[in-house]
Amino acid sequence: MNAVELSGVTKAYGRTRALDQVDLSFDRGVTGLLGPNGAGKTTLLRIVATSIAADAGEISLLGRNPHGSHAEVTAIRRQLGYLPQELGYPSDMTAFGFVEYVAVLKEWNDRRRRHVEVRRVLDLVGLGDLATKRVAKLSGGQRRRVALAQALLGDPQILVLDEPTTGLDPSQRADLRRTLSVIAGQCAVLLSTHQTEDVAALCERVVVLADGTVRFDGAVADLVATAAGRVWLSDEPGPDALVSWRTGTGRHHVVGGTPPPGAAATEPTLEDAYLLMLGADARSVRSPA
Amino acid sequence: MTSSPVSHTRMAGLGPMAAIEARRLARHPVFLVGVVLAFVVLGLIYFLDDRAVLGDGMSIPVIPAFFIGLTSLVAMARLTRSTEAAVEAVATAPGTEARRTTALVVACLVPFAAGAAFIAVLLVMATVRGVAPQEWWFGTMPDWQVWSILVALGPVACMGGGLLGVLTGRWVRFPGAAAVILVAVVLISRVGSEPLAHGDLSELRLWVPWAMFHSGTMTDGTQVLFAGNPAFYLGYVLCLCAAAALVAIWHDRTARTAQLRTAIVAVIVVGLACLALAMTTGNEDNLTSDPIPSQISE
Repeated sequence: MNAVELSGVTKAYGRTRALDQVDLSFDRGVTGLLGPNGAGKTTLLRIVATSIAADAGEISLLGRNPHGSHAEVTAIRRQLGYLPQELGYPSDMTAFGFVEYVAVLKEWNDRRRRHVEVRRVLDLVGLGDLATKRVAKLSGGQRRRVALAQALLGDPQILVLDEPTTGLDPSQRADLRRTLSVIAGQCAVLLSTHQTEDVAALCERVVVLADGTVRFDGAVADLVATAAGRVWLSDEPGPDALVSWRTGTGRHHVVGGTPPPGAAATEPTLEDAYLLMLGADARSVRSPA
Repeated sequence: MTSSPVSHTRMAGLGPMAAIEARRLARHPVFLVGVVLAFVVLGLIYFLDDRAVLGDGMSIPVIPAFFIGLTSLVAMARLTRSTEAAVEAVATAPGTEARRTTALVVACLVPFAAGAAFIAVLLVMATVRGVAPQEWWFGTMPDWQVWSILVALGPVACMGGGLLGVLTGRWVRFPGAAAVILVAVVLISRVGSEPLAHGDLSELRLWVPWAMFHSGTMTDGTQVLFAGNPAFYLGYVLCLCAAAALVAIWHDRTARTAQLRTAIVAVIVVGLACLALAMTTGNEDNLTSDPIPSQISE
């Protein structure tokens, strides 16, 4: 049995159907979740994180039912780490204080062991030296890492990360990738992001979600392969390209459509494949230059 | 792999969480200002009053109730709301909102302790300087009445302010809610009791959460001890405190058990019984002291 199994999961907000008959299961390793804004990614993550309930469908988390009894939900939450897309912080709390607060909620009741664990996760995200600084005085990227630290408490078996790299500079993103790659060997990570580079760097598997439905579910290499022969470098923008933009070399990167005269086929990236997978929706994801 | 925590009872972790919330309250600037002001005013009363004895001891608990109780209301409302900023993360931890609320409720022992310390200092001052023989105080009224008044209108009022803050933080969501509740509680306590206090139905004033039992020294040097039973009034305000705590916990849907519902109803019933007994037993009428010569206005 996989750590996370979803079958026919549906969730609506009023008349808007955020998720429609989503089937998804994953186990240890990093599963990337890609999709445009409004695709239903955050809704899916919040369901897996037990933050909200699905309207219909079957869900199993670590073999338990998150719609079951209070004890059942609590048992799941003991093994769960969740980094929400947006997280506020009490203005009076330090980084250490905030993570300790969540640690208490995660039942780290022994003070000495709790402090060791809080220091461990803060070191893991590179905030050991800033532990006593108020969260309100940290930069956006540092705050994001505080949020990640609380999600990592206790080495959860399921780790749900919603846009973890938002606000991080390239070196911080590299650090985060290194951290996640270590963690992924021990738990099932569901990583939602707009950054296809993160997915390419971290995930062995990717799920593309659009309009509340799964458009693709498979290996990253398989998604990239779907774009083979459909991406070109050209001196002219593609007349009917899905998207094309002028690169730093002065040539145009053309994705989809028919190749412009003199175009040379090039190796597609995960982003190209993702844009092609979305089709017309891609224009809202990647505006042409 | 790190080892995972082990304590799995429903209220596990309450102690550490309450300790965190108590520390946060003790460091909250609004609360600290209130505590400092309360003791500064008490110090001014002691050191600037050139009378030979301490006057109006039974009225003095209004100071901690005002400065510590009301600032606790604001501080606890803000603390309660502040962690809701991180609700997406904390709501998916095993610790429930009910547990977080209970921890905040326990943290209200901090203002209770501050109020108790204030009353202790007041008693020391009264012992050192003495009180006028005619003063409504120990010796001129039963000890249980004095203790009940001092505790109900001092430390319990301070704690009640904090609990009302928790209740406000959980249930009242608009910006500035704590300030509105603060003004409302002051208005209710004054408008709901003062017009009744000197009349024939003085005991009806006791429905408010902070009711006077002592008039302070009048211009003719007398003091009035208002009607009613202070011990049952203490029971009544303790029930108000318990009701505030339980209704704040009730905000968590997962905590809405039959037990909690029964507890709320029981507290309300006991509170109403205490109020009825406070109004119908104890001192039947207002009692006026002999004039205190040193306190007669020129």
